[in-house]
Amino acid sequence: MDIPYTVHARPDTGLYNAKIGIWLFLASEVMLFGGLFSAYIFLRVGADYPWPVHDLDVTLGFINTVVLIASSVTVVMAWAMLKLRKFGWYRINMAITVICAGLFMYNKSLEYRAKFAHYAVKLTDGTMLTGHLPHGYQVKFEGATEFNLSVPLKTSAVSADPIGHVLPFIEGTAPKFKTEDGQEITLDEASFKALSAEAVKKAAAAKKGTASIKLIATTPIKFAVKPSEIFAYTDTTITFRDGTTVTGKLTDDKMTLEVDGVDARGVAQSDKSLAFDHRYLGEAWQKAFVENRDHHITKFEKDYPTRDKTRSATLQKESLFFKLNSAEPPAAGAAHGDAHGGEAHAPAGGHGEAHAHHPTVVLEKKDFTFFSNFTPKLNTYYAIYFTLTGLHGLHVIAGALVLLYFLAFDGKRLRQDPEHLANRVEVGGLFWHFVDLVWIFLFPLLYLL
Amino acid sequence: MADNIEAIQKSIKWYLIIGGILILASGATVWLSYVELPTHSLNILVGMILATIKATLVALIFMHLNHERSMIYKILLFTVVLAVVLFALFIFAHEDPLVFSGFYAPVEQQ
Repeated sequence: MDIPYTVHARPDTGLYNAKIGIWLFLASEVMLFGGLFSAYIFLRVGADYPWPVHDLDVTLGFINTVVLIASSVTVVMAWAMLKLRKFGWYRINMAITVICAGLFMYNKSLEYRAKFAHYAVKLTDGTMLTGHLPHGYQVKFEGATEFNLSVPLKTSAVSADPIGHVLPFIEGTAPKFKTEDGQEITLDEASFKALSAEAVKKAAAAKKGTASIKLIATTPIKFAVKPSEIFAYTDTTITFRDGTTVTGKLTDDKMTLEVDGVDARGVAQSDKSLAFDHRYLGEAWQKAFVENRDHHITKFEKDYPTRDKTRSATLQKESLFFKLNSAEPPAAGAAHGDAHGGEAHAPAGGHGEAHAHHPTVVLEKKDFTFFSNFTPKLNTYYAIYFTLTGLHGLHVIAGALVLLYFLAFDGKRLRQDPEHLANRVEVGGLFWHFVDLVWIFLFPLLYLL
Repeated sequence: MADNIEAIQKSIKWYLIIGGILILASGATVWLSYVELPTHSLNILVGMILATIKATLVALIFMHLNHERSMIYKILLFTVVLAVVLFALFIFAHEDPLVFSGFYAPVEQQ
């Protein structure tokens, strides 16, 4: 049975059915995105940190805005051309629309990738350093010999699994271990299974709740592991995610960071920021920072003599969020090279290759409290940024797939019933315009304001 | 809507003009966001007004809401009312709920 009223209007509503359907769907979509925009307002009103403004790549965002607007024009043109029975033009316009969707998603992927590779490190005095981790960040141990594994007899979330959670982080060749009965083994799935079965049997006989296995490495072992891949560590022990503890000696938990920004907005005396300690950026950068800060403040006082300096978010950012664009501190007087303010060099995501142009500091663990790449973990702004743009991106993909389907697989309908296809394209187009409409609000809210 | 051939031919020109206006308005939004208005809230207000104008153009021209059947306006009326309520919710977070409801008046701080 055919679906009724796909081509001609239903007498009581005056519309073909699919159109009522898409508008009802769009109404629910408005509520979906409306809920998230409402969440954005809540997060922004309640943010206890300077809300990022112009922190994303504005150029890339603007290009994507133009791309989406262009595709909105072409999709409505495709519909009009179909109505006028100009099939060639219909196909061209549809193809451009789908290509625009691809371009939009490609740009989005560039933006996301840059964010994943860019890090922020919070120092103990409130300074935020931004930059790249050229070698990642790993904690290093050496001289590890004693391994304590425990297997709970009841099913438990944490149970020894050295194959999955300990061995991958060993540097060098696969080590050999001595068991408590003096047997020498190589640790693998089979040998561990046998070991733990025996230990469980012993523990059950002794009426203990947990079976413990002690292994001694025949040669001292070195570990290199990301802090996120283990539970915890001290100067002498690591506790792995499977509950296994290993004793050894911590040799390195310093973080090598190529610094491209010093955000001193959270520091009471910005020029005394820990970032300018002699171990880190040092005096020359401190001077450049102060020079840049005072330059922006003087300029603001001159341009807006009546305004309150402390209440200008832009001034706060320009004067206290210092961008480092060279490996060496600039010569005196050149620190504020750009007269338009810090915005011209906003920390765009897309400078993946420019690592060499930033100074490198080696941060001691005791000097930083938190670090993250620019992902939802960093702050609520990035949380809502990824939620909103991610959901919007899914809509772009879905809309493009529908339009691509009409273009590629609806040829029969195009020849036999173009009026029906025109209605389908109109409905797909309405969804596409909605996607554009959401972006019209997302772009200023996330990139500009 | 029974779009006849002439009406569609005429609207094609409008689609291109509106597309151009939207791109120009986006450029203006970017430019205005760098202008230091007396408060940043004003920047946000101006940006949102521009975005609303752009969104209205898309809805009216591209989505044909300038000549639609009453059924669709009825559906959208509900949506608009409910969406406005959603955006107004933040008032409860922004204001102290006790003060907002008139439960007590805060003492002026020095």
